[in-house]
Amino acid sequence: MYKAIRGDHAWEPIPGGIIGGWGSARRKLVGPQVLPSLVVTVSARPDGVVLNWGTTYRVTVLELGLACCGVEVMAALDRLPDLGVIPVAGAGEAHVLVVSGTVTDVMLPAVIRSFEAMPEPRYVISVGACSNTGGPYWDSYCVTKGIDQALPVHVAVPGCPPRPEALFEGLRALHGLVNA
Amino acid sequence: MTSLPPRTRGVIALLEANCTVCMICARECPDWCIHITSHTEVEQQPGSARPRSRNVLDRFAIDYGQCLYCGICVEVCPFDALHWAPEFGYPGTGSIEGDGAVAELVHERDVLATWVEKVPPPPPLDSAAEAAPETVTGTGRRPGSLRGRT
Amino acid sequence: MTTTQKTAFGQTVHHVELADWLDVATRHHDDGFVMFDWLGVEDAGRPGAVGQRHAVFLHVIDPRTREGVMLRTELAESDRLPGVAHLWKGARWHEREAAEMFGIAVDDEPEHLLLPDSFQGHPLRKDFVLASRVVRPWPGRLEPGEDNTSAPSRRRTAPPGVPDPSWGPRREEETQ
Repeated sequence: MYKAIRGDHAWEPIPGGIIGGWGSARRKLVGPQVLPSLVVTVSARPDGVVLNWGTTYRVTVLELGLACCGVEVMAALDRLPDLGVIPVAGAGEAHVLVVSGTVTDVMLPAVIRSFEAMPEPRYVISVGACSNTGGPYWDSYCVTKGIDQALPVHVAVPGCPPRPEALFEGLRALHGLVNA
Repeated sequence: MTSLPPRTRGVIALLEANCTVCMICARECPDWCIHITSHTEVEQQPGSARPRSRNVLDRFAIDYGQCLYCGICVEVCPFDALHWAPEFGYPGTGSIEGDGAVAELVHERDVLATWVEKVPPPPPLDSAAEAAPETVTGTGRRPGSLRGRT
Repeated sequence: MTTTQKTAFGQTVHHVELADWLDVATRHHDDGFVMFDWLGVEDAGRPGAVGQRHAVFLHVIDPRTREGVMLRTELAESDRLPGVAHLWKGARWHEREAAEMFGIAVDDEPEHLLLPDSFQGHPLRKDFVLASRVVRPWPGRLEPGEDNTSAPSRRRTAPPGVPDPSWGPRREEETQ
């Protein structure tokens, strides 16, 4: 998932996240792109989540799957385009960082570098108990007790692990926050 | 809504009427995420020699940012004051600068009481199972009457 | 070389002196026990423990007969453990864990990869205190009827893992 390179650049941002590979090309993206009326994503899904933000923003999501919560978010990834949210493979293209899983102290610099590589405006969704507060590993010797100690967290999705549908609710909350 | 199986663990609801502030859930929680404070009230019942004291709940909070949804508190509560409800859509939202999202996940007494209406009725017992001895007619009226018959 | 065997619950453990550890391991490897299972450390640093400080277990399996052999040796605080990673490559990770997590000096030092560089202490030792458990107040310390405003009427119970109040750095006296 990450490579620890001894030397000058000890921590590389995660180039692929979960999706994409090491060789994925990074397109430069400057701010959110406005795609008027091209991407109209209004989907009435049986679970009742309807988002109509494909007309205003191009919402790109980088999923940092660090542990078990990452598997739940992976299960949600193929349904995200129906909501107008596009999973991307590099931090340089993403506006929303989904931190899902236990953030260990050795992994923290990589997560911070991923956040710093994101263009503005950038938001962080913290998925699961481990990235909210450290979760079941709150007393561990090597776990960061919540990614909000290092990054601003805009939406915190509770769960251990949360359902993929709970992630959609979190994205809906982020939509409400951004639009308010 | 996605149809969820019975006994789905979504959120824990507090039935305050049942809570006697025994503190067992707070002690057993592996994450230390249940916060309970209470005080003692003493009242004199008419007709009784000594005043009765009881514990009154002040604060009951579950930190869902910490909760690992193990269900130990629900199982261990001797008075069935905690129940599972299948709700999962309660993310904590912070400010646009990114403050307070995780703090919003601490659910106090009033919020926990709103989850009570989401608690589903218990799933029906397995129809192919043996009947519980106390439901079989003619037995189980007095303590010890089932001895040797179960 | 002297090894004693103890069998319990169907498992035979060969107790080996530390000086013979490498010889016995090499002999077993050459006899065909080429499949590495695990190499674990048992820390005897808990209260009431007997024996030397650390016990190291090595479990290797002969893939032809599926027979496994468990070797055990004991190390004092200052002993070095001979490395067996040249026999079984997989032992490298386990020796790294023994070195970083338990503080055992291993010959042919494995590189420091598991813990952050700034980490102090050896976390898997039994006497390593988890500081979060000391700092964070346990919600269960309150008795029913306590509202956390007044001093406790009797000594508070502590949950597992929380040491005595005398543990930890002390603030210097202001008069000094």
